[in-house]
Order: sequence, then C-alpha cells, then structure tokens
Amino acid sequence: MKHTAQDRNIKRWSDPSFPRLCSADIPMQCTFLPIRSWVGAVVLTALTGALTGAPVFDAAGQQQENPQIVRFRLADTFLRSGQFDQAIGLLEDLYEEAPQNDAFYQKLKEAYENVKRYEEAAALVKARLADTRSATLLSDLARIRYLQGNEQEAHATWQEAVETAPTDPNTYRVVYRSLLGVRQFEHAVLLLEQARSATGQPALFRVELAYLCSISGLHEKAAAEYLALLKENDQHLSFVRSRLGSFLEEKEALASSLAVVQDAVRTDPLYRAWRELLGWLYVEAEDFGNALGEYRAVDGLEGGQGHMLFEFAHTAADAGAWNKASEAYREVLARYPDAPAAPRTLAAFGAMHMRWAAEIGERPFDESGDRISASHYDEALAAYQTFLQQYPNHELYPDVLHRIGRLQQDVFFDTGSAETIFLQVVAAFPNTRAADQAAFDLAGIAIIHGQLDDARLRFGRLIERLRTGDLVEQARFNLASIHMFAGEFDAAQSLVDVIDAHTSTDVSNDAIALKILLLENRGPDSLDMPLRRYASALLAREQRRPLAALDSVDALLSMYPSHALADEARFLRGEILRAAGRRQEAYETFAEIPLMYPASFLADRALFEAAGILSDESGRKEEAIAAYRRLLSEYPGSLFADKARDHIRRLRGDGV
Amino acid sequence: MSLRSIRFLFLAAVLSLATLSARAQDILIPMDIRQSNHLKAYGIVFWLLEQDETVDWLLNYRGGSFLASGFNGLEQELQVRGVYFERIDTGASARIIAEVESEEHNTAVVRLETAPNIAVYAPEQTLPWDDAVLLALEYAEVTYDMLYDDKILDGNLREYDWLHLHHEDFTGQYGKFLQYRNVPWYIEQQRDTEQMAARYGFRKASRLKLEVAQTIKEYVRQGGFLFAMCSGTDTYDIALAAHRTDIVPAEYDGDPVDPDALSRLDFDMTLAFENFTPVFHPAEYEHANIDSGPPPPALRNQAIDYFTLFEFSAKWDPVPTMLTQNHVATLKGFIGQTTNFRKAFVKPSVVVLAEAPNRDEVKYLHGNFGEGTFTFYAGHDPEDYQHYVGDPPTDLDLHKNSPGYRLILNNILFPAAKKKKQKT
Repeated sequence: MKHTAQDRNIKRWSDPSFPRLCSADIPMQCTFLPIRSWVGAVVLTALTGALTGAPVFDAAGQQQENPQIVRFRLADTFLRSGQFDQAIGLLEDLYEEAPQNDAFYQKLKEAYENVKRYEEAAALVKARLADTRSATLLSDLARIRYLQGNEQEAHATWQEAVETAPTDPNTYRVVYRSLLGVRQFEHAVLLLEQARSATGQPALFRVELAYLCSISGLHEKAAAEYLALLKENDQHLSFVRSRLGSFLEEKEALASSLAVVQDAVRTDPLYRAWRELLGWLYVEAEDFGNALGEYRAVDGLEGGQGHMLFEFAHTAADAGAWNKASEAYREVLARYPDAPAAPRTLAAFGAMHMRWAAEIGERPFDESGDRISASHYDEALAAYQTFLQQYPNHELYPDVLHRIGRLQQDVFFDTGSAETIFLQVVAAFPNTRAADQAAFDLAGIAIIHGQLDDARLRFGRLIERLRTGDLVEQARFNLASIHMFAGEFDAAQSLVDVIDAHTSTDVSNDAIALKILLLENRGPDSLDMPLRRYASALLAREQRRPLAALDSVDALLSMYPSHALADEARFLRGEILRAAGRRQEAYETFAEIPLMYPASFLADRALFEAAGILSDESGRKEEAIAAYRRLLSEYPGSLFADKARDHIRRLRGDGV
Repeated sequence: MSLRSIRFLFLAAVLSLATLSARAQDILIPMDIRQSNHLKAYGIVFWLLEQDETVDWLLNYRGGSFLASGFNGLEQELQVRGVYFERIDTGASARIIAEVESEEHNTAVVRLETAPNIAVYAPEQTLPWDDAVLLALEYAEVTYDMLYDDKILDGNLREYDWLHLHHEDFTGQYGKFLQYRNVPWYIEQQRDTEQMAARYGFRKASRLKLEVAQTIKEYVRQGGFLFAMCSGTDTYDIALAAHRTDIVPAEYDGDPVDPDALSRLDFDMTLAFENFTPVFHPAEYEHANIDSGPPPPALRNQAIDYFTLFEFSAKWDPVPTMLTQNHVATLKGFIGQTTNFRKAFVKPSVVVLAEAPNRDEVKYLHGNFGEGTFTFYAGHDPEDYQHYVGDPPTDLDLHKNSPGYRLILNNILFPAAKKKKQKT
C-alpha cells in the first residue's frame, strides 16, 4: 500500500527518534525570528482560519485541527530550524494537494529560494503565471532570475511586469519593491522615473525617489527631488533638511546639493523655502558670506522681522565667523530697529565683540599705559550703551548694565565708573543674578582701592545671603586672599581649608596653591616678614600698581635672598614685568630662575615662559628653539616637556 | 659685561662642548621601563633607517633596545620626540654587543638596515571607529600609504614590504553591522563596495573581497609581510576557506547561504585557521567560531583580563622574538569584534606568540606562507578595552608606553631586518 505524503510525515512526526521541537519551543523561538518567519506565522494563522471554516471534532467531541495545518506547521518548523529538505518534502506534497493554496505556494517558493533551488522556484511561479499574469508574479520571477545570475532576463521580466498595467502606479510600486529586494537601486530610480511619464503624474514617488537617489550617491538628483518636494509644500523644509543632512558627511554630497539648489534659486529667487535651504547648505559648507546673502533674502521675503538674520548671526559667531556675524547683527539693527529681535540683537552684538576682542588679544592700552583704540571693546561698549538708552525696560537691562561695569573694570581699568555701575545694578535690580555678580565685583573694587575691610564685609554678606554656589566659593577664596594680603595667615589658612575640602569647585585648585604657599613659607621671623612682603606684592599687582609690586618683590629678594620664597618672588617679578610690557627684562628674569634655583619647582616653568617670550618675537626663533631644548635637556620629566616639544616642532615648521 | 651675561655665555659654552663630545658616542635607546616613550622610539628608529643609518635591535636586551651610532642631530631629535636615550662610548657599546651575542643569554642582535615600505589597507571613507595601526603609525611618525581594494587588484601591493589589515570584513558582510544598515556611513560603505565590485566584474561584495584576499595571499607567498588585527584576521581566513561556496546571508548580498556551505569550506586555502564553522545568522555580530568572543562576564573586567607573551630563543627564533619584544610579559587584554582565537582552530604550523592564560585562547600568532609571513593580533584597540562604534579615537599621548601598541610596532621593524640590496 502506498502511503500518502501526509501519512508518511505524520508517521515521522510520531516517531520518537525523529528530531522534533516541542510545541512550547515554537513561541519561544518566535521571539527571535527574523521578519520573514514572522510573516510566515501570520500566514499560518490566516491559513488556519481559511482551512478550519468548519471545525473538526474527534470521537470525544474535542475540536481537531485540519491535518494539512499540522503538516504545514511542521514544515514551517523545519524551515526555521534549517532542515530544508524535510520542509520541502512536506510542502511539495501540500502544494500538490492544494495548488491554489497561496500559503503553500509562498512557503514552498521560500523554501526553494532558501536552498538556492532557483529553477524549481521559477517553475513554481511560472505555473501560477499560466493562470494569472500579474505584476506581482512577474516581479517575483524576475527577482528569482536575478538571483540565478540571469540579469538580462531578470530585467526583461521586470519590464514585462510593468507592461501588465503600465498606467497604474501600483504596478510600479510592486516592481520597485522587487528591485529594492535585490539592491537594484539605480534601476529602481529609472523605474520610478518611467512611472511618472507613463502615468502622467510628475510628482509620483517623490520621497521614495529622493531617498533612493541619496543612498545611490546620486546627490544631484536627490537634491532636485527635495527641491520639488519643497516647491509643492514649503512646510517640508525641516524634513528635507534632516534627510539631506544625514548624507552631507559624504564628500561629494554637499557640493552636489549646493550646485543644484543654487541653480534652482537662480530660476526662482523669490521662493523662500529654497533660499532658506540654500542658506543652510552654505552654513554647512562654512561659506558664511554666501549664507548671509541667502538669509538676508529670506528675511526680506518673510516680511522684515530680522529673525532669520539674527539666528544666522548667532550661528556664524559660534563658528568664529566674526565679520559675517557682525554684518548680520548690524543689518538686523539697521533694517529692523523696531522688531522684537532688535534688543537681543544689540546685546548679542556687544557680547560677540567681547569674544572677538578676547580671541585676538585686543588691548586698549599701549605698553606705556596710554589709551589706544580697541575697536572691538569700543564696539561692545557702544552697543551696550545703546541698549540701555533704547530699551530701559527690557528684561536684559540689569545684565547688560553689569556687563558694562565689567568692561570698565577688566578692560578699561576704570574702577570709578565700574563701581558706580555696580552700585546701580545692586540698588535698582535686587534679587537678580546681575545684582549678585555686581555685589561680588564691588568687593573686588574695594580690594583694588585698598579698602580691605570693606571688601571683607561685602564678600561676607554675599556668602551669608547666597550660602552656596560657585560665586560663594569664589567669595570665600577672595576672603582668604584678603586675610593673606593683610598678613592674617592663620585666618587665611582656615578659610582655604574649607574650600580645599570641596574639590569639585572651580576655585579649589587656587585654594590648594594658596594653602601650600602659606604652609611652606612662614618664618624665619615670628612676623613672617618675607611672606608679608610677598603678599604685599600680590596685593599691589591685584591693584594694578606694577611698580609698587616690583618694589616689594625686589625688597624681599634683597633682604631674604635665600628664603624659600625667593624663587616664587622672582617668578612673580617676571610675570609683573611681562604684564607691564617689559618683555626683555621679563625674559631675563625667567631665564635666570633655573640657573639660580635649579631645584625649584618653578625652574622648568620659568624656562618655558622665557622661551615663550622669545617665540612671540620675530627674529628670535632659533633662540626660542634653543630655550625649549634646554628645558627638554635639563628637565626631561617636566610637565611642560610635551608643550615644549610641540613648540619646537611648530617653530621649525614640522607640520606634525 | 654684566655678571648675568657672563653666566649666559658660560652656559652656552658648556652646552656646545657637550654637543661636540656626544658626536663621538653611540646612542642606546633602552626599551625597558626607563623608556619615556616606547612608541616614539620606534618612530625614531624608522626615521634613522630613512636617513640610511643602520640600527642594531638588541633582542631581549633591556626590553628590546636599539643601538645607533651618534648620528648628527639624533640626540636633538630624540629630545624633541621625548624618547629616553643613553650616550655610551664605543667601548661600552662593544661590550653590550658582546654581551648580547654571548651564548649565556637569550639575547641576539639584529641589524636593521632598510626602512620598509608600509601600506595600510583602509578605505578612504571615514568610518566611526579607530584603527589601532593607523593610530600607532601616526603617533610614532612612521610614513605609510593607504590603499584599498582597487589598488590591490591593480597590482600596487608589490611596491610594499608590509601590509596591515585592521577592522576589515573579507567575507563581504560589511562587518555584520546589520543594525546600522540605515545609517549614512553604512549605506556609503555598502554602496562603494558594490560599485567597486561591479567595476571589477563581480556581482557581490563577497566575491570582490575574496579576490582581494587571494591577491594579498599571493603577495605573502611572494615574500610580503602581512599583519592583521581584529576582524581583519579571522574574516580573512573565512573568506579564503569559502572560495567555492556562499556563506553570506541574504541580508547582506540578497541571496541565502549555500545550504551545503559547511561541506564546501576549503581549509587548505587558509593561512592560520582550520575546521571552523562560519556564523550564518545575519544579526549575530560574529563571523565564525574562531573568535572566542569577549571574556566570560566574571572575567570581563580590564583589571583582571590579560594575556601573556611567549619567550622564544633569540638566536634560533629571531622572528618570533622580534615580534614579542616588550618591557612586560603580561599585557592588558582588550576586546574587539575578534577578541581571541580559539586554540582548537589554529593550524598546527602556526606559532603562538601570546595567549590568554587558562582559557585555550590565542591572542597573537605568526606563521610563514611561501616566502612571506603573516601575523594576526586579536582585539581592536590595545588601550581601549571595549571600543564601541562612534567612540573617539584613543589619544596615544596618554599611552606612550603601551605594551599592546608595542606589539604592533614590532611588526613594522621586523621587515626592516631585510638586507639592503648590494651595489654590484
């Protein structure tokens, strides 16, 4: 008696020696199944529904499953566990029994493809094609032919699939997906273009085509599609930027996209979304000059609020494109003086000039101390002052006022003006951040004026009021410094011990340095005279009295030449001389420290500073290199050795 | 003349005399723990070879030190690059050579004569992970050229003595980074490879990479030196073994794995490994069972994960000795897509240079093929225990004495032992 395939497999299934997975295994495996298997499970569920239209019951009245479903599940399990031969045997029988069953057909085709039996897979599709000539089946056949290596035949079959319904967009969608399955991106691009002309819908597959072009490296085409998308709806600008942006890391993508968008803007310069896109691309290319032109145009098209220009100026300033940022800020102020963005623009313009001046090391005084032009600081001051005049009720007013005070104090050294301003901030805008900062700065001015008690009082009040925070820690450190200036070394030490315990604060390093200075340099007399002299020099430097500071240092060095502070005092002398612009004297002072105190912890640093002075002066390159080499020879383990090596290589033009 | 000026003149005179006297001396570059910058020391040796100077590599002497004659400007260059050195007179250097060459010690002298031409196999595309050899070469200031599939297939390899492979996937599965398939760098990498494959007449990336692997193998057979790290090691052999089958899942090449792939693997074609089984699951970040993977969780801790170098006879086995020169014998472990090789799959003809103790795992191995040699070093970055995609590159200024990086640089000097062509 010939057993049917169904019998044969059921027997195998009931054989205990036959490899099997218990039913409980299946859902566990499903958790990790690839999509294809998950789809299979859905098909299986659908199939169960289709085949069990009438429930089957056994003698005990229990519901029985259709035997075909059991075999199909078994085949599916075999497929998942890689037992393709067993699965194919079962599926072939099932297909033979029910050739119209789509689930059997699909699974059998999948099984053939899994073992590269493409001929049989193709035959299966062809058998179906004999009944129904659909784009789906033809695409399937084309894909199988492609996998077989018959590329020409595959493409002819895809074309055949298109011709089943050449004016229906769905036809192209089916063929397109089939092409994507075998990564035929460039053919897919051509197909979608063909779809547009055949259906008479030029906007068809816009997003698909754009993405396809991007991943194929056809950046010009992609940009053109995105431009068209924007033309249809300018609300897509963010979407287009994010899509384009993800590919701009590719070296050709930016240049190609820029060229296309430039052309588009040339043809329609009044279309805002295109111009904004072009401006953004220019910024990505760090071409801030052209970007400014585009954002200027966008602002014009928008109706003149200055918002776009303001945003651009911020971006350009953050990138260090100072000139273009400045131009943009100025333009906002000139063209839109009454716009909501104007006050913030003015404040930001001043802040930008401050950053610009700091970057180039601008100084408003020459070496003899005479006031000279400092265009950026002057611009900043003018911008802030204009702000105060024009926007007296603006929320930024206290902050801008405080910034003017700092400018007067730190840059123009006009402590009188600064003090007046800080007092105004404290009185007029209490309980603001600007007022806290101003109170702190007032204490600093009191130190400069030699009013140490007043300074102490102000810092103390601030600490009591705020209790915690960076400003409080800084105030504590300054209080300790005041004690030191006044020769109250024990009090100073108690305070730095507190700060030293908070190692996370910014001032803790300064506190540790001060602590070491106090611990190591007391004596030899009961009044700690050398340390007092050194503290006086530090105070004089703080008060911007370089000559007094030098007098104190020189007195200390002549009276106590062998004291432990001598190397530090000489180093301080070098720093004061350099700050006063007496560079040659500063160089000599630094250079003699390693000769006089070769074991000092400052010796290598002094040599490094000396070399730095030489390297900043033209014509002394070789001397600078020699000084850095001396540092490397005499202090090979110095913390400055790496920097010295870098400087040597930079000076000799190594390009490393 | 002021006292200060006299002091400066005196100092200058002392410095000049010191420089003059140094010229008559030899320079010893110790490579033991006294060395301040081991990695730059290799660069200095390479620089000397480029100046047509010879250098003696004192194997197993103070960590594999270098001895050079007092070449003009050498001391300054050593100082500038931060390399520790000792001036020794010619008598002392003769004594050192005699000691190193004596039969009493496991030491030997190898004369380095030619700066090797170095090629690094890497794409032009910037990928989001670092390449330990590129980092080492850049840091040590060793000159090299980068080449990729096209240049290798166009026959450019013959111009080089040394070829390095790093985090490469010769199986054509794009590193099995399936989870990144929608990320621009992955898309670009896949597109470029497919275009390159098409340019050379291959329908699949795996076939292109196989052709490249076979070209490299031929280069080694003819006398080239191959050094590979991380996945550049096992995927190289896997690709060679799979030359007559398809082991790439559909997710990477559009068609499924050959159902008979396992029986069609050809281990006669491989350099270092045999009898392994490729991993066919597309989402499993592993190419074959050659790699033992990261250490078990209990040991996956950089404080306790380490490997040890074998010691070889310097006089009888100079090549393995050169490759294992170091100032320590136990090195920190590090993980990569390929972390360690399972010993069971290493061919018997291969020399194991370093292993993970008590784990039957090999970290570093070496072998000969034809006239050339190959060296495989598992793991990604010796100073970044687990280097993830997108992590910043390691700053070697913070690892100047890295024993793990030294092993890489030993490889670049090993071809320098080749004799100069004699003028006839």
